Amino acid sequence: MLPILIEVDFRTRLLQTLRAIAPVLQEPGVMVAGSEVPNLLEPDARSSLVVSQDVDIAVPVDRHAAVKSRLGEMKGLARSEEEPSVWLPREAGLIEVNFIGWDSRSARAGETYVIEDAELPLLVFGHLSLLRPGLMREIENLRIPLPRPAGLMLEKLMTDRSGEKGDRDLLVALALLLVSDENDLMEFEAQYRGVNPDLRYAVRSGLSTLSLLEPRLAMPDPTRHRLLVADLLARLERTESDP
Amino acid sequence: MREQSIIRAWEYRQRSTSKGVWHRLRRTLVNAAEAWIIDEEAADMLEARGRIPLLVGYEFDPPKRLFFLAPEDLGTIPRRKQVPVRLHSELLLARSVVFLPHRAVSAAASGGAP
Repeated sequence: MLPILIEVDFRTRLLQTLRAIAPVLQEPGVMVAGSEVPNLLEPDARSSLVVSQDVDIAVPVDRHAAVKSRLGEMKGLARSEEEPSVWLPREAGLIEVNFIGWDSRSARAGETYVIEDAELPLLVFGHLSLLRPGLMREIENLRIPLPRPAGLMLEKLMTDRSGEKGDRDLLVALALLLVSDENDLMEFEAQYRGVNPDLRYAVRSGLSTLSLLEPRLAMPDPTRHRLLVADLLARLERTESDP
Repeated sequence: MREQSIIRAWEYRQRSTSKGVWHRLRRTLVNAAEAWIIDEEAADMLEARGRIPLLVGYEFDPPKRLFFLAPEDLGTIPRRKQVPVRLHSELLLARSVVFLPHRAVSAAASGGAP
């Protein structure tokens, strides 16, 4: 299949899936997270990156009950028997939806923990606490809440996954860097300063690994943006020596 | 997940010791636009001209002589082989490597000063 056909097809499936779960996306605080964010931030949500075949939806832990009450309004998807936080396509043209917990406010913010629930259990990832609500994209009459690039980029650079999945996290961070402006980078730097030293080291380590990755099909080419990555790393290192 | 946190904290504590050498080597490579493997004779020549190899190279056994040079200095080395700037076996096995910094390469390509 020609790459352009893959892109068009994936974009259609991604947008159809978001339309299918639109009632949930209307809940305050709910947003798309993870690797599909850079796709949706591209002009007209071009979705040129094919990172995964699912979409992550961040559910604020204090909106858990409200989101649960909207699940029945979703169309064309059914809860997975094995993993109830995952909803599987029942119709052609949709992709898997993965609900994850987002806790940026409670006393446990920054911890990784599980919300046990028969209908909508949530794994709350500690580093997702770095996400901040961002712009509401309107594409083809669909309102899609997205996080700000800075927090998600930081979260992706802290990846503790290894091998192919870890590399893809880093390439998603690169995709976010490519759509970031100076204001986003200032926010990124401010959030970076706020995390503990070993996580800051992990971010810098992630950037150095990103700089040395090989190109992959349908992902931003890291070899073309090595200077950008080097400049960002140097910028973070300068903050380490600031008083 | 807890295991990953423990490993990460350990790596952080090791950043100034031998485990951190891989990070320091990667950090060196980040600043390199190009990498060229050179022979020992050329490395000797560079040192004789006062070029000082990077300290990180001496943390390996056997030690490596790693240099950052301006593009015009690379032209004075007769035998050299360009390799990708990545952690691959050819680069890791090389005893002497010359790196060119990003902005110097961009400036040379555009005909301007670095």
